[in-house]
Amino acid sequence: MGKKRKQIEAEVVEPEEIPERPKRTLLGWKDKSQVPDEETDSKVFRNKEKVLITCSRRINYRYRHLMLNMVSILPHCKKDNKVESKATKGATMNELVELRSCSSCLFFECRKHKDLYLWMAKCPNGPSVKFLVNAVYTMEELKLTGNHLKGSRPILTFSNNFDKDAHWKLLKEMIIQIFGTPKEHRKSKPYHDHVFVFSIVDDHIWFRNYQCFLGDAVFSLGTFNELAREVWEERQWGTMVSGFIVSHVVSLTRTECEISDKGPREDREKMTLIEVGPRFCLNPIKIFGGSFGGPTLYENPFFVSPNQIRALEKRKKAGKFAKKVKAKTRRKMHELSNPLEPDEFADMWKE
Amino acid sequence: MGIFDKEPVMFEEDGEEDRGEEASESESGSEEEEDVKLTEPSKNSIYNRDSLLDKLGDISWPENAGWIHRLSINVNQEQEVDVNDDLTREAAFVMQALEGTKEAFEKLKSMKINCFRPPDYYAEMVKTDSHMEKVKGKLLSEKRKIEEAEERRKARESKKLSKEIQAQKQKERAKQKKEEIESVKKWRKQRQQSGFAVGEKDADMNLPFEDGKTFERSNKKRPGVAPGDRSGGKAKRGVGNPNKQKKREFRNSKFGSGGRKGLKKQNTAETTDDIRSFNGGKVTGNKKRKR
Repeated sequence: MGKKRKQIEAEVVEPEEIPERPKRTLLGWKDKSQVPDEETDSKVFRNKEKVLITCSRRINYRYRHLMLNMVSILPHCKKDNKVESKATKGATMNELVELRSCSSCLFFECRKHKDLYLWMAKCPNGPSVKFLVNAVYTMEELKLTGNHLKGSRPILTFSNNFDKDAHWKLLKEMIIQIFGTPKEHRKSKPYHDHVFVFSIVDDHIWFRNYQCFLGDAVFSLGTFNELAREVWEERQWGTMVSGFIVSHVVSLTRTECEISDKGPREDREKMTLIEVGPRFCLNPIKIFGGSFGGPTLYENPFFVSPNQIRALEKRKKAGKFAKKVKAKTRRKMHELSNPLEPDEFADMWKE
Repeated sequence: MGIFDKEPVMFEEDGEEDRGEEASESESGSEEEEDVKLTEPSKNSIYNRDSLLDKLGDISWPENAGWIHRLSINVNQEQEVDVNDDLTREAAFVMQALEGTKEAFEKLKSMKINCFRPPDYYAEMVKTDSHMEKVKGKLLSEKRKIEEAEERRKARESKKLSKEIQAQKQKERAKQKKEEIESVKKWRKQRQQSGFAVGEKDADMNLPFEDGKTFERSNKKRPGVAPGDRSGGKAKRGVGNPNKQKKREFRNSKFGSGGRKGLKKQNTAETTDDIRSFNGGKVTGNKKRKR
């Protein structure tokens, strides 16, 4: 027993001389000199955006595919099960987002198997936007021939009319936060090979996704793209009456431009864009103050719900028959009110 | 924009064959794109500018968040884009993307960030290989279709061309012939004028083509052959036993091959009156007939 006591005493004396042991990290010993750097780093902004992507029950296959495309485009998203769309879906959605520890949400709500509404919300304290989604083309369309790395950070381009009005500004900020992949996200890749286009035309936000590469950049589908270009050049894709194919033509045109740059190697190289998809068009309906609810901050004054449009069409069709019946009765009344004079030559040939 | 200006013209060239198919494919899209809008804004819509800007302030990132975090580029949209004109609309989008990427890459380069992946960097892509295989197949079939159409068009054109060439050749030949005849005539005239005697030789010179209608055939299809003759006039010149030969010839001309038979084999008034074949009670003739 006596021996042990001695040892303890000895230990108590020593610590004054030994320098404090540096903290251990995964990569080795943390140096003291580095510590202040880390502190400044923590002050530096770090984007920790996480997007919950989900949809309502009874969604259309086309819209479901669109949702899956979004999942594959946004590496910083979490996909969740379908949600029953009820009157109280706002509360459940908020709960769900919190449960999955996300900071924003894209909720695809399909109604009547026809109309797709997209909720874009910042959680937990808003704002949130409800869009009507039009003109949906998914990535699976064979006409969209591009391809890009999964998880590479997109470049977001906005047309300058996003700065025109307050609600567009707000939408732009939300889109930047939701669609931009956070820097150094663990699923992201360190290259930039695609570009998102957000453009306001006719008060709708149009979304496009293009793959971009320099003309001589070698990539795994090099031969394939050569082929695409060949086809394009030989045929110009024919007389394409419809919108889709026409626009595809544009997406395939080797839109080439020169990058003016001082770099000796990459001097005067050509940039090529090929559309990857998906494409859709967002029509903002309302902007709310909270997430999935709250005070309405903006209401689209031009918006007509698709239900109303369909009702109008139906009424028009119904009107057709009513008009016919009406015309018939009117004619009858007219004939009754002013009868024809008896024809004096009526029985001329009967004798 | 030069590229896009040209396009509408180029589309008209070819591809009538594909129109039906393309139209059917596009239906789903055009149907969705129709969009009704109120002509004038509804009066009681809400627009709370201040709180919108408030919210914007709330959610926006701090000032020190650099451009590298947002990677957003504003692009000037020069002119108003007509929504319903698909081509110009898409062209505008492409131009926006193009200018945006140019600017972004310049910025990235100035930050010394490598933005293009090296050629040996393989990683998961958004579209799977099997999907891209499908896309490739589609493009290939498209290409094949184009080639076939091209071939068909070429064949058609060459056919047309060959016809033309043939016609021209014939014309040329006729012309040459005419010229030759003319030259001969000329030569003859010259000879006459230069004082050659119109004598014994000149009779020989009375060539058949001199009367203008030179190598025309006679109007009869078979000159020198009787209309009912099937042997083409060969029956007339016979050798051997004259009596037998004659009969044979006659029969040949009557029943032999060629020409119309119908009227020849029917009885006429003359043949019924002809009783040469009746030889008083001796039974000959048709052996097939039963007794």
